[in-house]
Amino acid sequence: MHRYKFILHRPVQFLPVIFGVSLITFILVRLIPGDPARVLLGARSTPAALANIRAQYGLDEPLWLQYFYFLKNLVNGEMGKSILYKIDVLPLIATRIEPTVTLILCSVILSILIALPLAAIASRNQGSLPDHTVRIFSTLGIGFPPFWLGLMLMILFSVKLGILPVSGYGETFGDKLAHLVLPCLTIALSLSSVLTRSLRASMITELQSDFATAARARGMPESIVFWRHVLPNSLAPAVNLLAVNIGWLIGGTVVVESVFAIPGMGQLLVRAIFSRDYMVVQGVAMIFACGTMLVNFIADILTVAIDPRVKL
Amino acid sequence: MRIEIAAALAMLTFGASIAEAQGVLTIGRREDSTTFDPIKSAQNVDNWVFSNVFDVLVRVDKTGTKLEPGLAESWTISEDGLTYTFTMRDAKFSDGSPITAKDAAFTLLRIRDNQGSLWSDSFKVIETAEAKDDKTLVVKLKTPSAPFLSTLALPNVSVIPQKGMEALGEEAFAEKPIASGAFVVKEWRRGDRVILEKNPNFWQADRVKLDGVEWISVPDDNTRMLNVQAGQLDTAIFVPFSRVEELKKDPNLNVEIDTSTREDHLLINHEHGALAKKEVRQALDMAIDKKAIVDTVTFNLGEVAYSYVPKGSLYHYADNLQRPYDPEKAKQMLADAGASGLSLNYVVNAGNETDEQIAVLLQQQLLKAGVTVNLQKVDPSQSWDMLIAGDYDISVMYWTNDILDPDQKTTFVLGHDTNMNYMTRYKNDQVKDLVAAARLEQDPAKREAMYVDLQKMAKADVNWIDLYYSPYINVTRKNIENFYQNPLGRFFLEDTVKN
Repeated sequence: MHRYKFILHRPVQFLPVIFGVSLITFILVRLIPGDPARVLLGARSTPAALANIRAQYGLDEPLWLQYFYFLKNLVNGEMGKSILYKIDVLPLIATRIEPTVTLILCSVILSILIALPLAAIASRNQGSLPDHTVRIFSTLGIGFPPFWLGLMLMILFSVKLGILPVSGYGETFGDKLAHLVLPCLTIALSLSSVLTRSLRASMITELQSDFATAARARGMPESIVFWRHVLPNSLAPAVNLLAVNIGWLIGGTVVVESVFAIPGMGQLLVRAIFSRDYMVVQGVAMIFACGTMLVNFIADILTVAIDPRVKL
Repeated sequence: MRIEIAAALAMLTFGASIAEAQGVLTIGRREDSTTFDPIKSAQNVDNWVFSNVFDVLVRVDKTGTKLEPGLAESWTISEDGLTYTFTMRDAKFSDGSPITAKDAAFTLLRIRDNQGSLWSDSFKVIETAEAKDDKTLVVKLKTPSAPFLSTLALPNVSVIPQKGMEALGEEAFAEKPIASGAFVVKEWRRGDRVILEKNPNFWQADRVKLDGVEWISVPDDNTRMLNVQAGQLDTAIFVPFSRVEELKKDPNLNVEIDTSTREDHLLINHEHGALAKKEVRQALDMAIDKKAIVDTVTFNLGEVAYSYVPKGSLYHYADNLQRPYDPEKAKQMLADAGASGLSLNYVVNAGNETDEQIAVLLQQQLLKAGVTVNLQKVDPSQSWDMLIAGDYDISVMYWTNDILDPDQKTTFVLGHDTNMNYMTRYKNDQVKDLVAAARLEQDPAKREAMYVDLQKMAKADVNWIDLYYSPYINVTRKNIENFYQNPLGRFFLEDTVKN
């Protein structure tokens, strides 16, 4: 059981990371030129009105003091007040978490459902026509920009065929699912390309490994060699690849949420950045950072579970 | 196969969700609302919904050039122009309580005094606002102000209930307000949509044909258009110029083009070297082919601008000087002014397609007059700081009016007030005095003459270079009638019909 010991002490390492993220986002968002007060007031902003807004949100305080307040809030489980929406950041973000998490989760599941069979076909027929087809597919998938792919899917399935909603997010579970098909497909088409390539490569390595050869020598049919020995051993790198890609996935949802008008954290982040809504940017960045750490943590646990040789 | 299952599932669920919305108008826009406290926003995205939910004392009509009674049935103005007496109409808030002069007075003082008000400057002129009785509101001004009445039509000074606001608290009110207009906020799914339903207590409830309205946020322009093309939204606003031709060809759609007060103009920093000379600025005006900009940038949907008071708005001077496009003459004028080989630093809003297009066009055009233009692309919120600091030679900006009276824009652009005449550092004392005098003048005919003079003087001095006016462009399904905006942007959803 000592192999799982890291589950206990790993979370302690999260604290300095969270502190670091808070400091970096705090500084970065303030390094972007521009001013939330000016965005709020628009073209009619006068020096007096600007000063009034800055004072209200404590933007006229020294930076170190602003950061101190931010940390103090954080310790109390608060994230300050949004300048654009004039409400607390946490409830503002809270309603946006579910769409983003669902989008990422469904996209990952769909990617795996696409990548696994493709990689299996390709690796077992290495160098043949199916293999080349899969490789072309995965190159194309990486090549298409998601916003373009999303629009093409919309035109085909929603405008021409009229079978799926163009954009948005539903209320009921079924409604949500219907709204998520195209955005998930958009993400999955590029994510599964990366995944297919990695899986195919590790499957080929495992197919040629000594234990596979030994299994064949014992007279084990090829399909059993594949399912019992090759597949489990190829999964570990793929799980790690997915975990590493979580950052990329989150970045991807920012684009996809905007294209498909999904009211998630990505969209919130984009608007917060454009209006220099510092508190919201910091809040979303913190949540994304925690999410990334959590995913990597889970991936580590999975890797240990999948491969008995791994120790963390 | 998986896609087919999902699609079949989608058909089942989605089919169910469109059937219910009969008299509910769905409108796609870029961004979702930020608040329902009218004094706490200065953004169109909020103001346009405030107008659906709240009523004001005085309204602007469909043409955007006349005031008409709103919650104030009638009013009188004292001889000295200082005392306004309003008679309130019999009307109710959405909670059934009467809308009284007390509520109106509360509203006016709140927008003037509230810490969070973004509009206190516009209402500083109010000395007192009192309810003589439930029906009579008396407002005393510190100085006479001709534009005062038209500022009362701002959606931000929408009448709100004193008792209701005090009972709910500001934050709860901003989430789910008590309405005085045609619709009430039924539900606000932040980041997604605002769901309005008809307000049965609205004093003009008979006029409202829709059961409800949904303002739905669809940030991507292409996605928003596709939603209307696919029939999943009834209308979409902010149609890009480039899409109009194609959408017009679709037999299921109407493209609605409404006059707006938007004017795009080229700011000039009068404090930078040769730009201080009037002749140099005039030469630049002649070196710019505005028609080419209208053709390329607005796909010919805009119009060449020639006055800072936009076409279709109050006191617009239609015969204002239009300098002909003549790069050769411009070159000569620059040489005469000792400004040959002029080199200008042009601050461009990066990422804004229109601004970047204009920048490239202007660069080519000015080169023909021997002027070198260096494009400096910066983020929009950074460019504002640079303009304020005077760290630029030329830059394109735009302005839309909030009120029908020209005073607001005139003060910002020519009043020598705050922001250095909209960052141009333009100085002309004669103009400054006339702006102040026009604000006080009570006789409309005399006032109009003063604004005509101002338009001529600004053009003669080239305070900035007027580039083009552009309209609001919205697209609707064919079954939608009477969906339009007035030049100030107000949507008259109380007249809209969904067949």
